[in-house]
Amino acid sequence: MPSEGIKLAPALLLACILALSLLVGLAGRTSKGAYYLVSGPSVGRAGIGAAIASNWMSAASFLGIAGIFYLQGYMAFAYVVGWTGGYVLLLILMAAQIRRFGKYTAPEFVEARYDSPVARCLAATITILITLIYCTAQYKGIALVFSWIFGLDYTPSLLLGTAVGIGYLVLSGTLGASRNQQFQYGILILCFIIPLMVIAKNLGYFWILPQLGYGRALCELGQAPHHLSLAPWTSGTPYEWIALCFTLMVGTAGLPHVLSRFYTVPNLRDARWSVVWGIFFIGLLYWSAPVYATLARIAQGSTPSPTDPEAARALADLIVLKAGEWAGLPSWLIGIIAVGAIIAAFSTVTGLLITGAGAFSYDIYHRLINPAADEKKRMRVAKGATLVLALLVVVLALNPPWLIAQITAVAFALAGNTLFPVFLLGIWWDRTTKQGAIAGMLTGLAVTFGALLLGPLVPGLGIILPATSSALIGAPLVILVMIGVSLVTPPPSEEIRRFLAEEVHAP
Amino acid sequence: MTDTPPPRPTPNPDYRVNFFRPRPGYLRQKVRYTWVLLISWAFFTLGFQFLLLLTQDTPEGDSLITETILFGFPLHYWFSGQFLIVWFILLCFLFNLFVDHLTRIHRQRR
Repeated sequence: MPSEGIKLAPALLLACILALSLLVGLAGRTSKGAYYLVSGPSVGRAGIGAAIASNWMSAASFLGIAGIFYLQGYMAFAYVVGWTGGYVLLLILMAAQIRRFGKYTAPEFVEARYDSPVARCLAATITILITLIYCTAQYKGIALVFSWIFGLDYTPSLLLGTAVGIGYLVLSGTLGASRNQQFQYGILILCFIIPLMVIAKNLGYFWILPQLGYGRALCELGQAPHHLSLAPWTSGTPYEWIALCFTLMVGTAGLPHVLSRFYTVPNLRDARWSVVWGIFFIGLLYWSAPVYATLARIAQGSTPSPTDPEAARALADLIVLKAGEWAGLPSWLIGIIAVGAIIAAFSTVTGLLITGAGAFSYDIYHRLINPAADEKKRMRVAKGATLVLALLVVVLALNPPWLIAQITAVAFALAGNTLFPVFLLGIWWDRTTKQGAIAGMLTGLAVTFGALLLGPLVPGLGIILPATSSALIGAPLVILVMIGVSLVTPPPSEEIRRFLAEEVHAP
Repeated sequence: MTDTPPPRPTPNPDYRVNFFRPRPGYLRQKVRYTWVLLISWAFFTLGFQFLLLLTQDTPEGDSLITETILFGFPLHYWFSGQFLIVWFILLCFLFNLFVDHLTRIHRQRR
């Protein structure tokens, strides 16, 4: 998207905010060089909730949902509901139990529960694949926003954004800066809501709580039929809505970097209660994102440019910025939104790349390739793997055909088809065996990538198994496969079953 | 709550963990709560979409529900976009209350 050259105010803002969060990170530096886990003084349940939310918010939340809402209306609520309702599943089915296992990553849990290096390796591979897909969506967001700020084409923006992102990661790593998640959440939510209030005010709608007051704008859109139909199934069938929503929910409960949140909290009870705050803080963003899209439609209606579907699709992922432009916001105020999106994407990418690189270095390299490697060597491998993964993602993000939220949904489908059943049965059925887990993960991989790669080729498959929503059929299928295989293989050792019954499910 | 947890050193201990047939005591009560919450989670989330489907007058889903305005919103927008998040927060809140309560009872007994 070539545009009008560099926008000075947003560029300066971006530099300032990055420097500021580095300074805040340095101020909260811990004596032990904890590579990425947050430690430090107790921050209370609301504070932990803010950390959960800041860890969660990515370009998909910041840019993607508004983009989908702009294009598809009611369909976007499948994302909103899926990405919040997943936390309910996570909390009531798995959170406390996984924490009691005392394992910090998905591969470690799999090894501990199933006692099988093969299953661990498979879980590590899946973690890396999820990282790659999820990061591709983030990179697309980073590239689009950089191209908006610096007036470059997509590809140079992608490279510039990657360079800045890696530079920032290396700099904060060498300086030992910790990430202050509460500070980051504060920045993110202000960057999202303050410009939104100004947009609502400029357009003459209720601006104090635009999240509650955009109903009138929505109804006005519904009355002008060429804008956006308010009927629920205009952009997708009920099956598609439910499949997508279910996929995102089980995916949330299985995502490796979401699970690891529960270990940084000192006690279990606080961890549980912080989820209530976490959903509230995430909800603040998700209540607001549809307002951006609605107001963008309204503001666009008053400009003469007619929209054809292709042009609308190209605009969709930047619609939060366009809403600001069309509503006549000053450049620096739109810049605030852009900076928020970049911060959200950077932090998600950082967390994911480190999770993925850790999975390679500890679970694949150390276990399979070089068991003699010491801590220093593994750390070097992890750093190398971070770079390699980052470069792979750049290649994947060069020409992604889908919208940000859709790419992210594929990562959720993969998590929901593989890790979610492995966690769920591993916790709630003592009879689940390693053979069952391995067969389940392989089936899940086959379903996810079958839907992704064969969907366009085999007629009808794309309707039953959409690539973004394959877990509605996939997850139950994988669970059945796991149960079947487990029943015909010898039960797991008494030791692990005893641990499960007496420790993991203890009061 | 007449069930007592199985005594610890027994020759043939019960290690069974099964969501559909939980051991009596703490686990059974917790699973009961979990079921109630899971059903209310699914009923409100997916059940509402089925309701839209059942009552629709056109293939796009227009119906009495979508024409009703609540708090300024078409009802289905208000329900899925605003109310469900509140509902999820409430479910998590209730779950935590239940578990706190259960833990208190069973920790005392041990």
